[in-house]
Amino acid sequence: MLLELHVNERLHSLEVPDDMRLLDVLREKLGLTGTKEGCGEGECGACTVIMDGLAVNACLVLAAQARDKHILTIEGLEKNNELDQLQQSFIKNGAVQCGFCTPGMIMSAKALLMRNPHPNEAEIRNAIAGNLCRCTGYAKIVEAIKEAAEQ
Amino acid sequence: MKPMLNTVGKSAFRVDAREKVTGKALYPSDIVMDGMVYGCTLRSEKPSAEITVDKSAALAYPGVLAVLTAEDVPGANHHGVLFKDHEVFSSGRIRSIGEPVAFVVAETAAIARQAVKLVKVEYKILPAVFDPREAMQSDAPLLHGDSNILYHYKLRRGDVEKAFEVCDVIVENHYETSMVDHAFLQPEAGVAYMEEDGTVVILVATQYPHFDREEIAEALGLSQEKVRVITTAVGGAFGGREDITVQIHLAMAAMKLMRPVKTVYTREESFLAHSKRHPMYIKCRTGAKKDGTLYAMEAEIIGDAGAHASWAINILRKAGVHMTGPYVIPNVKVDSYAVYTNNPFTGAMRGFGAAQVPIAYEQQMDEIARKLNINPLELRLKNCFRAGSLTATGQLLEESVPLERTLRAAAQAISRSGEEAPLKAGKKRGKGIAAIFYGTGYGNGFPDVSRAAAELTEEGKVRVFAGATEVGQGAKTVLSQIAAEALEVSLSDVVLVCEDTRLTPDSGTAAASRQTYNTGNGIRIACEKLRIELQAFTAEVSEAQGNLLKHISLKDLYQAAIAKGRLLRSEAAFTARTSRMDDETGQGAPYWPYTFAAYGVEVEVDIETGKTDVLKAVCAQDVGRAVNPVLVEGQIEGGFAMGMSWTLHEELGLEEGRIKNRNFSKYIIPTALDMPEIESIIVEDPETSAPYGAKGIGEPVMLAAMPAILNAICDATGARITRLPASPQEIVKAMYGKERKAL
Repeated sequence: MLLELHVNERLHSLEVPDDMRLLDVLREKLGLTGTKEGCGEGECGACTVIMDGLAVNACLVLAAQARDKHILTIEGLEKNNELDQLQQSFIKNGAVQCGFCTPGMIMSAKALLMRNPHPNEAEIRNAIAGNLCRCTGYAKIVEAIKEAAEQ
Repeated sequence: MKPMLNTVGKSAFRVDAREKVTGKALYPSDIVMDGMVYGCTLRSEKPSAEITVDKSAALAYPGVLAVLTAEDVPGANHHGVLFKDHEVFSSGRIRSIGEPVAFVVAETAAIARQAVKLVKVEYKILPAVFDPREAMQSDAPLLHGDSNILYHYKLRRGDVEKAFEVCDVIVENHYETSMVDHAFLQPEAGVAYMEEDGTVVILVATQYPHFDREEIAEALGLSQEKVRVITTAVGGAFGGREDITVQIHLAMAAMKLMRPVKTVYTREESFLAHSKRHPMYIKCRTGAKKDGTLYAMEAEIIGDAGAHASWAINILRKAGVHMTGPYVIPNVKVDSYAVYTNNPFTGAMRGFGAAQVPIAYEQQMDEIARKLNINPLELRLKNCFRAGSLTATGQLLEESVPLERTLRAAAQAISRSGEEAPLKAGKKRGKGIAAIFYGTGYGNGFPDVSRAAAELTEEGKVRVFAGATEVGQGAKTVLSQIAAEALEVSLSDVVLVCEDTRLTPDSGTAAASRQTYNTGNGIRIACEKLRIELQAFTAEVSEAQGNLLKHISLKDLYQAAIAKGRLLRSEAAFTARTSRMDDETGQGAPYWPYTFAAYGVEVEVDIETGKTDVLKAVCAQDVGRAVNPVLVEGQIEGGFAMGMSWTLHEELGLEEGRIKNRNFSKYIIPTALDMPEIESIIVEDPETSAPYGAKGIGEPVMLAAMPAILNAICDATGARITRLPASPQEIVKAMYGKERKAL
């Protein structure tokens, strides 16, 4: 099928199989491998991207469901060689360890800050509750999001 | 007095952070090459059987390029970290579910997945055994050789029998720990391709590229020079990437097809493919005098190795050596056994045997304190290791033993902090503390060497080479900081190369909490040598110019060296101290250095349901010296999360060797909503033999979490939990004596 969608503010027109997932469109068709696959069933959140302003698991979204939608991935955050506030804050606060959950974690946080620029800690923890991290215990991730929100 | 340090001790930002927050870091699943084909693994579905394999239908499937089985292995059909008791592909005898049978390679991943179902496997079922205690019996079905007991460690000190007779108080119990998974976020994956000269290159997320190279070469029948392992970004490891998974299959396929080959495991396959934490059955008896002096301990530890040895010997040895906890006990008898069963194989996982035993010894400390009516902190302080203490193996702890400080800090912090919200009906709160120790390195006399090299580059930077893997723990940052300190240059002038066996020397595995200490030392020595050489050469250049030169940049120094045909480069190796223990008594000095910690925890237990929430944790961690305090905190927070989850939730549900919960909807790891506030207290007591005093902490940070939580649960409810996980039903059973409901 023909799929038209906007990814990181660019319109793409792609021929994709009917059963392809948005995750595979991003990783395989567009080479945007910053979005990770950790479980393939919506449990780990490593594949989180923002679709029309909402954080979604790209492994649970069929390509057809993304038709004409605006998708934001981790690759779309950096502007003119300047990192997004969240990316800077993750680096500064030591919120990154192995890094495999990091893109999805940042996208969940980004979706939160887009709809709620000044979240409290409970709102932050809720927003990333669908993103598993095995390395950090989440403390520094929560700190990083808090600090980014204060900027 | 603190030496003047410029880079060590500062919380430098991670050198790999930018590529990770931008999504540019390449994990193996992100790699794409021209003409790449895809592989999919077929695994055994029975725990004990003889098999015959018919691959004809799969081979005939359109798009299939190869179906590799045991008959296709060019070299030795085996691998294994201690014994070569894993087969690359089963040659007929299956010992556990999940063993590789075939690797189907096809033009697309979808075809490979489809075709793998066409490989026909006929199973002739054989007897099996799933409980290591039964597997030790003489009539049990045998897995390898003539006994399922693959290792027995004996620790003998003093006279335990006589000692117990004069003890005023004795506590005794059985403890069981669950089998758990590393659950790193990045499932196993890799890519292999051929270089023009016949070298096979494997891109993989591994903990030890140089050892992988050795194993791949042996299975492929190649010399090691013809095998090159490149470590990609690694999405977590925790011990689960010590054993071979994708490496040999990929290399075989690339060699056969002369095309790049990729494989990516699903989460379910990841659960099947790598090792697990050894479940341990621990019988333990501890005796003390009226005044609280510990006097005797007797313990038996049985560890379920599953179907393959992996690190079972080292893990059960480490469990035995650490059985007394960080306390002086003059009379000790410990027997630990590693036993084969038809369960999934167990191996390295954060803590490595030293993680299971604190669940027993630290609960017994609290029991003794209760019986003697002594404060649990006072009992621990009375007996805890200090500089000059002897361990149960007779090892003298010469220095850097700040256990008392960690204990006092943790106890004080947890006693003054308390949940302020009023207690709701039906809930009880309690607090607990626990202390641990952990011996760094391979241990028991096994050569523990880290090599490193450093050279001046054309850009005026120093390139440092070490085969130490960044698995997320921060090795690349910490080792760069150590290099910068030794070279007296800024961190940005150091370029650490650690990813490629062709470029880097062997620095040992990213395990045993050894990289900061061991490879840090190798790098420190190499960089100090280079610094001295640079200084000497600067003087030489300066003198040649009539000593008019005030300053010469490293860039100019490089050019001056080139003009003279000199390469400014140094190499070094560091070998850790370790000696082999006596086979009959376990006496000796197996590890060095030791790291200590004490944690305090507050919990809230629902007395109807048994559901437990950890409200607060204070973690006082000895680090020798913190090279990067923020990274240390990150380890503590992550280690506590892993320990808390193991204590309260995690368990692989096994049914006749089959893991029932092999996905994240059924195997639950903590989310951001589950974590309490964690207060990290970094305790420094520099170790002379360590680089700038720094000791490894990757594993120690997890060990006190489990017993501190269990002691807090007991403080809240009076219930002693002797079987992990301390699930709600386990707690209810312990409180009311009700039978535990089936899982």
